Amino acid sequence: MTQAEIKLCSLLLQEHFGEIVEKIGTYLVRTGGQPLRAIVSDTGTSLDQVKKALCVLIQHNLGTYQIQKRGFVEYSVQCSRVLCILRYPRYIYTAKTLYGDTGELIVEELLLNGKMPMSAVVTKVADRLTETMEDGKTMDYTEVSNTFVRLADTHFVQRCPGVPDASGPSDSAAPPAPTLVIDEKDMYSVPRLNLIGKGKRRRSCDDDDNGEHKAKKQKQDLESQEPPPDDGIYWQVNLDRFHQHFRDQAIVSAVANRMDQTSSEIVRTMLRMSEVTTSSNAAYTQPLSSNEIFRSLPAGYNIGKQVLDQYLTLLADDPLEFIGKSGDSGGGMYVVNLHKALASLATATLESIVQERFGSRCARIFRLLLRKKHLEQKQVEDFAMIPAKEAKDMLYKMLSENFVSLQSVANLIERRQYETRENKRLLEKSQRVEAILASMQATGAEEVQLQEIEEMITAPERQQLESLKHTVNKIDASENQVDETIFLLASYVDSTVVAAVKKP
Amino acid sequence: MAEVKVKPEVPDPLDVENRIIELCHQFPHGITDQVIQNEMPHTDAQQRAVAINRLLSMGQLDLLRSNAGLLYRVKDSQNTSKMKGSDNQEKLVYQIIEDAGNKGIWSRDIRYKSNLPLTEINKILKNLESKKLIKAVKSVAASKKKVYMLYNLQPDRSVTGGAWYSDQDFESEFVEVLNQQCFKFLQSKVELSMEDIETILNTLIYDGKVEMTIIAAKEGTVGSVDGQMKLYRAVNPIIQPTGLVRTPCGLCPVFDDCHEGGEISPSNCIYMTEWLEF
Repeated sequence: MTQAEIKLCSLLLQEHFGEIVEKIGTYLVRTGGQPLRAIVSDTGTSLDQVKKALCVLIQHNLGTYQIQKRGFVEYSVQCSRVLCILRYPRYIYTAKTLYGDTGELIVEELLLNGKMPMSAVVTKVADRLTETMEDGKTMDYTEVSNTFVRLADTHFVQRCPGVPDASGPSDSAAPPAPTLVIDEKDMYSVPRLNLIGKGKRRRSCDDDDNGEHKAKKQKQDLESQEPPPDDGIYWQVNLDRFHQHFRDQAIVSAVANRMDQTSSEIVRTMLRMSEVTTSSNAAYTQPLSSNEIFRSLPAGYNIGKQVLDQYLTLLADDPLEFIGKSGDSGGGMYVVNLHKALASLATATLESIVQERFGSRCARIFRLLLRKKHLEQKQVEDFAMIPAKEAKDMLYKMLSENFVSLQSVANLIERRQYETRENKRLLEKSQRVEAILASMQATGAEEVQLQEIEEMITAPERQQLESLKHTVNKIDASENQVDETIFLLASYVDSTVVAAVKKP
Repeated sequence: MAEVKVKPEVPDPLDVENRIIELCHQFPHGITDQVIQNEMPHTDAQQRAVAINRLLSMGQLDLLRSNAGLLYRVKDSQNTSKMKGSDNQEKLVYQIIEDAGNKGIWSRDIRYKSNLPLTEINKILKNLESKKLIKAVKSVAASKKKVYMLYNLQPDRSVTGGAWYSDQDFESEFVEVLNQQCFKFLQSKVELSMEDIETILNTLIYDGKVEMTIIAAKEGTVGSVDGQMKLYRAVNPIIQPTGLVRTPCGLCPVFDDCHEGGEISPSNCIYMTEWLEF
């Protein structure tokens, strides 16, 4: 683990969970698995606070525990999982593009809360959606449930491992910690819930049916005393599935850039057909026949079978090697070469970095070296056709540079926090004014009075706030953009590690 | 002794037609009446004329004029099926456009040659275009003029302007650059071998702008070496410039010296400040 990774983990934990969780979390990232006692003594934090921090980390799927052979429990935090916090906006946005506002909020709630029962998610999301709807309209629980089921069917959300049914003899000593299990076949099965109801608005001043509202509230209170129908069944976001989606997006985009729209749609279709049948680290998808692909093309696409076959042949013959032909039955069997595609994308990413940082001449040497693996300096000159002195300088420069994505994100976050701190006084003032305005509006204040309050923030202050907003947004966007780079490089590295492990 | 009359053999009209079609397939560039006569000596001029006229009216034959006289040619079957249901006016317009070859013909000239009113012509042209039998190509001669030609034809240089035109615009810079390079090259009197060209092409490959594939080629094909041929084509990069290089840190020359609390830090970074003000 590099310093940059640890630094970034620390910043993310602190931003999202506060100082104490940051201290415990960073400590565990740095030291690996540790028992409770060691955490308390090494970090100088009270037992109570350490326990609370661990609860938070485990609840949010950042930390786990394991019962060691000698019977004590070790807690650990996965650095790579903490770094995924950076990607939360991208997960939420993807859910929005696939399943609309309902999908977006479901995923957001699950990410913000770590683990939740489905009933709780549905209620919360229905309430939130109702807030945004016109007066008098509400969101039905059934619609939210349906979207939840779709997310489960496509594996974007999954069930958390749970406590197994008490089966052993009751007099045996209880283990120091429960071992949570989940059966493979249950991971995406949604319990049969009869969730009936509609979302509620937060404001208690509904114009119509005040009486009905009171009655409902009483009923709700009663219900909340009973355990929910799916008590004990918790759900979490399946990050791997989203990562698979991002990878597929990158591949389709690459094909569109190198070839054309139709080729990329064909590849998108093949990847869609393979979504739930391909394991997350597979080297290629299951073979798909040309006939199957033809039947699965999107409805609007009017290409003939022969044209499809021509495209498939072209794709299989292309030097990119994203698509391979694996047989002749069914009109021709084709696979997507996932590992090869990741390697090409990672290579292109590195080439892009070298090009922008060091210029086209350097980029040429870089590409040359990637292809030829080892070259003597003289040979580099000959192949890249760059004058001797320039070649030597560039080689040394590149050898001594480290690639900087993670540190770069940490820098961006530092800057963002700095800008926010600098404007702290103004931000707090602005928030106070907002709060006053909100409460005045609720109690029906006059327009003149509202304006008076608004004017408490002067024009130059308003400008400063605008400028701050622009700064924070730009840095946020940039964090996401750098994360795209991190994703491609990390995906490639992960794929090679798995391949190495698999070799007998 | 009774005289035996030998009945002259009456050739079956259908046989004649089929035989003519067969001949046309044999000689796709077209056959003359003489060729048909040589093939079927037992037919007389009238019988041949009847057969040819039937084939023409059924749309199975094309009638062309050449220095050898009248030529009969089998009609392209794909277009034949498309033309079924077309009325005679459409067929006429189509014929006129076909005759114009790859230089194309203006709608005004089509009107003169066919004697059809303009509205009729426009309707027919629209129809033929939608059936993908013809296409309109802008001519560099006058930017508002469109010439019509058959769908599958490559427009002639006189229409597109050739290599020096890109979408009706004269590419003066392109010409200028090539002009200078050609002059330099001719001045130096250097002879470029195939290997020299390959080395230059390789630099383009290492620039990521060109890719090469090797295909099997028959011995003797121009450019083949040892049964293989190298093919080159220009390619687009597979990704847009990556996220990292769109931030200040990705391009920063003092990145290694930067850390919070130091002389150079994210908080006081001038590159970030500039970038944020943009």
